[in-house]
Order: sequence, then C-alpha cells, then structure tokens
Amino acid sequence: MMKTTALAAVALLGVCGSSLRAEPLTLDFWSVDQDGQYAYGMAKAYEAAHPDIKVNVRRVQFPDMVNDLARAAMTGNVPDISYVDNPDVALLASRGALSDLTGMIAADKTIDMESFYPGPRGAASVNGKVYAVPRGANTLALFYNADMFKAHGLDPDHPPQTWDEFYAAAKTLTDPAKNVYGLAFSAANSEEGTFQFLPWVQMAGGNYDHINTPGAVEALQFWQKLIDEKVASPDTLVRGQYDSTGTFNAGNAAMVVSGPWELPRMSRDAKFDWRVALLPVKTAGGPRASALGEGTNVIPTKAKHPKEAFAMISFMNARMPTVWNDFGFLPASKVDVPDPKWPAAYKVFATALEDAKVRGPSPDWVKISKPIQTAVQAALTHQTDAKTALDTAQAQIDRVLKK
Amino acid sequence: MKRYLLTAIGIGITGAYLFPLYWMYATALKDDAEIVQYPPTLVPQRPFWNVGEVFFGRHMPSYLWNSLVVAVGVTALVIVLGTGCAYVLGRARGRWVDALLFFVLMMQVLPSSLVVTPLFVGFNLAGLLGTPRLAVILAQTAKALPFYVVICRASFAGVPRDLEEAALVDGHSRLAAFFHIAVPLARNGILVAAVLVFLQSFGEYVFARSMISDDGLQTATVGLSAFLGPNTSDWHGIMTYSAIYVTPILIIFVLLQRRIVAGLTAGAIK
Amino acid sequence: MKISGQTSRPGRIAVSALPDPTASTMRLSVFDTFRDGRGLDALLVLLTLVYLIVFGLAPILYTVLMSLQQVDMFTLGDFSRPFVGFANYVDVLTRPEAGMVARHTLVFVALSVACQLVLGFALALFFQQDFPGAGIMRGLFLAAWIMPGLVVGGIWRWMLAGDNGVVNSLLAVTHLHPTKIFWMSDPATSLYAVTIANIWLGIPFNMLLLSVGLAAIPKDLYEAAQLDGAGPVERFRSITLPMMRATLGALVSLSVIFTLQQFDLFAGMTQGGPSNSSNVAQFWSWQLSFQTYDIAGGSTIAVLMIAVVIGVATLYVRSTRHEQIG
Repeated sequence: MMKTTALAAVALLGVCGSSLRAEPLTLDFWSVDQDGQYAYGMAKAYEAAHPDIKVNVRRVQFPDMVNDLARAAMTGNVPDISYVDNPDVALLASRGALSDLTGMIAADKTIDMESFYPGPRGAASVNGKVYAVPRGANTLALFYNADMFKAHGLDPDHPPQTWDEFYAAAKTLTDPAKNVYGLAFSAANSEEGTFQFLPWVQMAGGNYDHINTPGAVEALQFWQKLIDEKVASPDTLVRGQYDSTGTFNAGNAAMVVSGPWELPRMSRDAKFDWRVALLPVKTAGGPRASALGEGTNVIPTKAKHPKEAFAMISFMNARMPTVWNDFGFLPASKVDVPDPKWPAAYKVFATALEDAKVRGPSPDWVKISKPIQTAVQAALTHQTDAKTALDTAQAQIDRVLKK
Repeated sequence: MKRYLLTAIGIGITGAYLFPLYWMYATALKDDAEIVQYPPTLVPQRPFWNVGEVFFGRHMPSYLWNSLVVAVGVTALVIVLGTGCAYVLGRARGRWVDALLFFVLMMQVLPSSLVVTPLFVGFNLAGLLGTPRLAVILAQTAKALPFYVVICRASFAGVPRDLEEAALVDGHSRLAAFFHIAVPLARNGILVAAVLVFLQSFGEYVFARSMISDDGLQTATVGLSAFLGPNTSDWHGIMTYSAIYVTPILIIFVLLQRRIVAGLTAGAIK
Repeated sequence: MKISGQTSRPGRIAVSALPDPTASTMRLSVFDTFRDGRGLDALLVLLTLVYLIVFGLAPILYTVLMSLQQVDMFTLGDFSRPFVGFANYVDVLTRPEAGMVARHTLVFVALSVACQLVLGFALALFFQQDFPGAGIMRGLFLAAWIMPGLVVGGIWRWMLAGDNGVVNSLLAVTHLHPTKIFWMSDPATSLYAVTIANIWLGIPFNMLLLSVGLAAIPKDLYEAAQLDGAGPVERFRSITLPMMRATLGALVSLSVIFTLQQFDLFAGMTQGGPSNSSNVAQFWSWQLSFQTYDIAGGSTIAVLMIAVVIGVATLYVRSTRHEQIG
C-alpha cells in the first residue's frame, strides 16, 4: 500500500513536476534510554529541525541489545540507527553487523575522530576502521558524605588519595550501630562487576588481558579486605551500582563508587552535603585509571536509510556540549560545556575521563568479562584465594584471546 | 465455634503467605530512599501514590489490552485444541496412550527463553512476525497446551466411566457422551486449567519481548521492564505498575473463585 | 451439528439431558467413525498432536541440531553451519562449573518440588474444611501465580536483602536470628534463598490442583471407611492417596518441569552468583546463549535438560498405569 502511494507520488512528480511532498521519511532508532533521555530528546530536536523526517525511537533493554541487533540482522528488520555499548562495538563490527563509517566521517565536516577522548575513540574503531560515533561517556569516581566525614573527624576537603587512606577512611566511617558502612560499590555477577573492578586492576598495573599480575591480585585482595572487615556490605555481590548508590543516598553508606548518571537522583534524595573525588590511586603518584561507560551510535549494515541516518548521527554529535546538562553524561569529545550543572562534580568526572579505559576492545569481550566476574565473586566469598581465582580467569581469557 | 477457630488460623496462614504481596504494595508507596533504608519500615512512612502517572504515563491501557488479546487467544486456542485430547488420553489405556502422554509432556520441557530462538527463526521464515500478537499467541499456545492437557487428563480420568457407558448403551454417540457427560463432569478441572492458562498467558514475557517490536502492540509485562534502565531501576515505579496490574486480576479472581473453586466441593456427582 | 443444537440445556449434566438417540440414526458411516469410533479419538488427539509437532517439537529438534553445530547469535539464520559432532557437549561438560551447576539443579528441583507438594497438600486439606472465608482465602493464594516474574524476583530480592531486608529484620525483632543473614550473597545460602522464593511461587498451583483432586473424591467412600472404624490417618492412606494418584502424578511432573523452567528468580535475585553458587542448568543455558552469545553451548545444556526430563516423564507415564479409573 505504502509502496503504491510512493510510486504514485513519484509518477505525479514526474508528470507535473510540482513540489508535491512525499510522506515524511521514518528513521528507526533503537536505544536503551527511557522517556526523556538521550534518544528521545535527540529525536524530538531532530524532528523539529527536519520536518520531513520522523524518528521512531524503540526502547530495547540494555542486556538485550546485541541479541536484538543480531536477530534483526537475520530478519532484515534492522533499525537505521542504534545505540551500542562501547565493548560491544568490536563484536558487532567483527560479525559484519555494522556499517563502516570511515568514509562518511572523512567526508563530514562536523565529526572529527581526533577530538574524542582516547577511550571512546578506541571503542569506536576496529582495525583502523570506524564503526561507531561515541554519543557520550561516563566514568567512575568516589562520592562521599562530607557530613559524616566531619562527624568522624575526617577532613571533607581532603578526600582519601591512596588506597591506604581510602581504607582507613572507610574503616573510620563504618558504624554498625547506626547501620552505616564506610563504603558501597558493586561486585555484582554482571558487566557492572567488571566495570567497577577493572580500574582497580589497571591502577595496580594489570588489565583485562593481564588479570593475574601481582598488582591485580593485590587489587582483589584489597576488595576482599573491604568485604571481610564489613567495611562494605556483603550484599555488594548482588547489588548493582544503582542499588548500591541508593544505600549511600539513604545514609547507610558513607562513600560510594559510582558515576555521573547518579547526580540527578542524588541531588533529589541525598539529604546531606555530598561531594565527588577522583578514585584513590594505589600509592601516591601512581597511575590513575577509571572505567569508560556509555556508548555509541551505529548504523547497522542492512539499514534502509544509511545516508539520512548518518546525517542524524552528525546532528547528534554536534550537540555533544549539551549532553551533560540535558542527559546526565559526559561529552565523549573535548568540547566546552557552557555552564555545567553540578560544576564541581563535572570537573572531577571530566578529569577522571582522561584516564578512562575502554573495556577491551575485543570481539569476544563478554567471554573475557564473565571469568573476571566469577573470579572476583569467588575470591570475595573465599571459595578460593585471590591468586587462584585470577589464575583461573586468566587461563580462560587466554583461551579466548588466542582463538 | 471450631469453624471460627479455623477461620482465624486460615487468616493467619493466608496473611503470612501473602506477605510478599503486601511488600509489593508497601514498596509501591515508598520513595526511593525509604525503599533502601535500613532497618526497613514495615509501614510506609511518607506514603505517596502515583497511580495515574504510571497508568497513563506508561501507556498501561494499551499494554493491558494487548495482554488481554494474547491471553484470550491462547486460552481459546488451548481449550479448542486440548480438551478432546485430554479426554481421550484420560479414557483410553495402552501403549500408544503412554507414548502420547510422554510426547505431550516432552513438549513442555524447555523454558520459553530457550525455545524462543528457533521459533523466531521459523516465524520469520513463515512471515508470522508481521502479525506479532498472533505469533505470540501461537508460541504461547504450544507452551500452555501440554500443561492444559496433562491437568485436564487427570480430571477426565476421574469421571466415572459407567455414566458414559450407560449413555452409549442408550444409543447416544460418543461425541454426545463427551459433550454432555464427560465435559460437564470434568468441568472443574477444565475451568481451573483454563484459568491458570489464561493467567499465565496474560503474564507472558519472553515471546512478547522477542517477537513484538511495535510498542503499540506490546504486552503489560514487557512494558514493566521499561522501569529498568542500564543504570537505573525504578523500584517504586515497578511496584506501582505491578500493583495496578495485579490488583484487578486478584479481585476478579476472588470474586470468580466462588464459582470456580468453591464449586469444587459440589463437583463430584457420585 | 444437530446434536449439540438440540440439547444445549444449560446446567444439566444428568443422562436425561442427552438428545433423543433416534435423531442421529440416519448418519453416513464415514461420519460415524468420527462420532463414535476410533476416528473420534484419533481426530481429537491429532488436533493437539499436530499443533505440538509444529510449534513444540520443531523448535526442540532445531535446538538439538544447534547443539551439534558451531553456531552463535550471528549465524542463527544461516543454514550452512559446520557440524562439530559432540564437541559442544565435551566443551560444556568439561567447564569447571558444570558439576556444580548439575548438583545445584538437582537440589533446587528436589527441594522445590518436595516442599511445594507437602505444603500445597497441607493447605489443600486445610482449606478443604468447611469454615467461613475458606473459599476467598484459597482464591487469594493465587496472587503468587498472577504476579509478573520480574516483580516476584524483585520483591524477594528486597525481602531477603542482608542489610535492609525485611526477613532479617523480622528475624531480629523476634530474636530468632539476631545477626544478619546475607541470604543471597553468601554462597552457603544463595541457592536456598532462590529455592525459598520458588517454593512460595509454586504453592498455589499445587494447592489448587490438589483441591480439585480432593473435591473429586466421593464423600461416601470416607463415610463408609468411617463406619468401618478407620481413623483419619488410615482414611488418608487408604482413600485419599490412591484416589489422588492421577492428580499427584500430573502435579509432580508438572512441578518438576516448572521448576526446571524457573528463570525470573535467578535473574532477579542472584544472577546465579556469587560465583555460580546458585547457578542452575536453565539459567546457565540462558547465560551462555544470551549473555555470551554462545547459542551452541546454551542449546547443548538445553538438550541435556531434555534428556533428564525424559527420565522424569517416563516415571510419570508409568504412574498413570496404576491410577484408579472411575
């Protein structure tokens, strides 16, 4: 039916050459966002600027995105644009599910890959080809309850700088009688667990492909100590970052490791003086590290309107300076954010982003991440010691990487 | 006197059992901070209730309608396809009946989450994904049918055979005996099984999530997952949505239950 | 058909409600087979059978096929996938967590089914008695069956949380267990935490089906036994249990199958953790298929599960041979 109409319209155009308008073109846009977030906000703005285009946003659950894109590739019902989480770009690109954007980006004046931070840039490219345009970034930092710092004789203007100071502060702040843990974080059996653990490994000189180095073992032992001494709740193993931060907001944890996405909720729920600091480093002067979160916009291989899709991606990229204030994540490129909300927090997160490393990239990222989660949980529950747990993970990771 | 003592005990047991249901309502009334707070509060301290916002803001009328379409479709299909089979399997004895029962039970084995992939491939080839709600009905029927047959079979097996035989001796057809003797006598089992199938299909999640991509055709349980984002889980919203979803069904069921389950005691004719 | 049109007198179930037999004497013989003979049986069974072959058996066979191939999320639609024999089976079974998962599955199913059955039976017997409100209360039990899986998982996760869980809080207030139990994050209890939630979930189904079965037992049997001087235990053993055989058989096999399908609670509560200490076959299969996109591995576990269920089904089918036919 639609086809007939379109044909008729084309025929009419050909015959009388008038400026008869065709139906607006519809771009399908898949994202993991909720109403009012990035994809919805951008769709609205784009439709306003381009009345001839309609953007149809479909929400996909975060853990389902790769599955849905793979299935869609099979049926041919792919979206024109989709959100893809950073570590998944390599997988999808290696399986031919994503369009190579290198040429289009080169021809485009507004997207400069060099302007992105190294983390997001690394996530978007595979073997020198660009398959994705970062839409934003987030990272981890330390939120702390300044009121509790004062109450326990700690200086809220000097948050802990090293792991030792961090541990000491957490220990001091822990107050079982008042149901307060010194620290909250997430060691859940999911990607969030890997996301939170890797920075500590990286600060100690390890990485996902060197997960059993002495430094990495120390990092895991450090986490072990936090749980063993009940400085952090044992439920850290089953709580995601959102629920962990919830306990901080409710005053049941004095510090929490989390990201900028928490800022709106924290401003609403946390009835105390909360502040943000960079994650402590292993020893003074040691290397910094943080996790890289958020994702990219991609065009699936079989997209029906790749050219229009790219135009919209370019439009969205041009609005990078607004993502902090409008959607609560960091710009992925070095742009100036005029008048940022929560300016102090913004400064800390923007600094942390400089050292944020992408997970992988590897087309088999999930098969690397899973053993890491299992190792962390095995050690934290003392089913094995930290060294053995990480050795086991390393063996599994080696098998994946050598394939 | 003893009867009222039993009632008191019954209320105690039911109350204890329904505590998780109470917890759902209590959580729906708490704000984010109170949900995670400890020690937990048994009664919401600062209750607030945004039914309207959740109901209309989350497009619940459309979701619920789609769930209803799926549930009615599945239940109707299951009753039409399965009742006769359950009857035959409940009546006949022998090796082939064993084999059939075995086969039927086997068809129920795999969780939907594992069956959905091959079904998706097949439905795609058959072009069924263009009518996604029908696709979900067909898939969920295959899931519910074995369950229905197995339960109804037990009921038919309990129907006294001599009544039916008497009818046959009187010269009635077996089809007539089936409709007028066996089905009415097994009606409690059939009803209960049908209700269970209906409720299960109303809450179907896996097939709807994978096969329905148009939000306007999506079902209520999938709509619920919209509260879970990559970095957020809006428990207050989830529980409010869930309370809106559960309460009417629960009320209808308690009202209907007089007919359904209370009729059980008067069920057997002997 | 004439028969049904003529006799739709609602509410009557006596033999007298049947149509006048003379009305159907002038039928063709072919037609008669489908009304009276084996043809009717075959037709009724075929309806279900054909449907299940198309929509039930086909996906299972496809799963078996995938377990013998090299396949992941991206080669799903391809039909030219390399066969790898039993390599997937070797791979899955030699993984370090395989034995653990098998053991957990067994514990989870056995505990769940046994507790659901015992508690369900007890409740069915209790509510079988005649007292005010029995019906409504029994109806309320179905709440568990209605609640969406995601919500049930979420509620139990909150209730069993170590710090802010209401269960711990109640245990502390009543001095039953003053220290916190970290139900889900302690590997010693995580599997049981999910099992408790699953038992809760399965009780209404058991109770309801057993109620139906109990109601179908003719009262005069009990009265006769009572006259013979049989006590309540004796009556339960000699009347209730044998009469409930068909129901119990159906119930146990369905419970086993439902328990093997339980997914939401694992997803909502522990995600199989910590470190696989609460992982079971169905959740592991899902993790492989949809978290690591290893469809072949996931399918292999699914096929192994089918093999186990075939064993259970055999038991059920055998049990039906001994049941009482009215």
